[in-house]
Amino acid sequence: MLHSQLPWYLAGPALGLCVVACRLLLNGRLGVTGGYSEIIGRIARGSLRFDWRGWMLVGIVLGGTTFALIAGGPDFHGYGWLTATFTGSQRVLVAPILIVAGVLIGFGAKLAGGCTSGNGLSGNAMLSRASLAATATFFGTAIVVSFLTRALT
Amino acid sequence: MSRRLAGLGIGLAFGVVLSWSGMTSPVVIRGALLFHHAYLFLFFGSAVLTATAGCCLLRRLGAHALVGGEPIGWDPQPPARRHIAGSVVFGIGWGIADACPGPIATQLGQGAWWGLWTLAGVVIGVAVFMWGGLGETEPAREPRAAAAVSGSRRSPDRRSRTAPAGP
Repeated sequence: MLHSQLPWYLAGPALGLCVVACRLLLNGRLGVTGGYSEIIGRIARGSLRFDWRGWMLVGIVLGGTTFALIAGGPDFHGYGWLTATFTGSQRVLVAPILIVAGVLIGFGAKLAGGCTSGNGLSGNAMLSRASLAATATFFGTAIVVSFLTRALT
Repeated sequence: MSRRLAGLGIGLAFGVVLSWSGMTSPVVIRGALLFHHAYLFLFFGSAVLTATAGCCLLRRLGAHALVGGEPIGWDPQPPARRHIAGSVVFGIGWGIADACPGPIATQLGQGAWWGLWTLAGVVIGVAVFMWGGLGETEPAREPRAAAAVSGSRRSPDRRSRTAPAGP
């Protein structure tokens, strides 16, 4: 079954080839946050005529669905450390924590001009020093936050 | 093939690889960020190397996009404070939710419904940025955007990558 992780030496290059395909087909920068911006912006103007970035995000959702259909459902249950930490009556805290985290993810990615894909993959592939600085910063910050939350819970 | 169809296909492949590599699971992401296993770093590193080699090769060959025929290229943008500040904010959210925008989408595709809350937050965060008058940033401008500003394919203020370094 697909439930085992694809080895990194296959999965990594395959992900990198998606970035290359985006260049080769469209001369586009593969950035998932750009897809969110496109869809949110269009819907706010009452339109569903998304450009390729919006359709790429639709494709990513369908890619998850394709995997789940083949593998037989999501490959995890609950929601990581949040549902493991906040149990019983505290479980109600998980949703607001995820919303706040989502706001930080969305706003931060827009401010930084890209997320893990737009800066981390595509920006670095463009040899952009801005993306390299962004990548080092978000990896470093997320690692610090993970150790902090582990120490506090 | 239309640009939209190309985007859909690229996204489909990207979503399957993200799912198959376990990136959808917050347990896998947290395990990586706490240095329990090296998978994420090897996966990410090999993805960046492959993407860099492929993109730079395409540019060096002077290739043209298969859809639309635009010359393949880009202009680097110098690092600015907002790249760092934004990435600190982004990193805090990523470290808490253990999902970034791609995996949030694959979570929803897989039917992992906790991701709906993170999605709601992302929509709010992106909307606040877009309508807060904060403008757009990109790690590198696409040549077409630069051309639209200057009215020529190669804008005069563009720093040529063939320019000699230093005085």
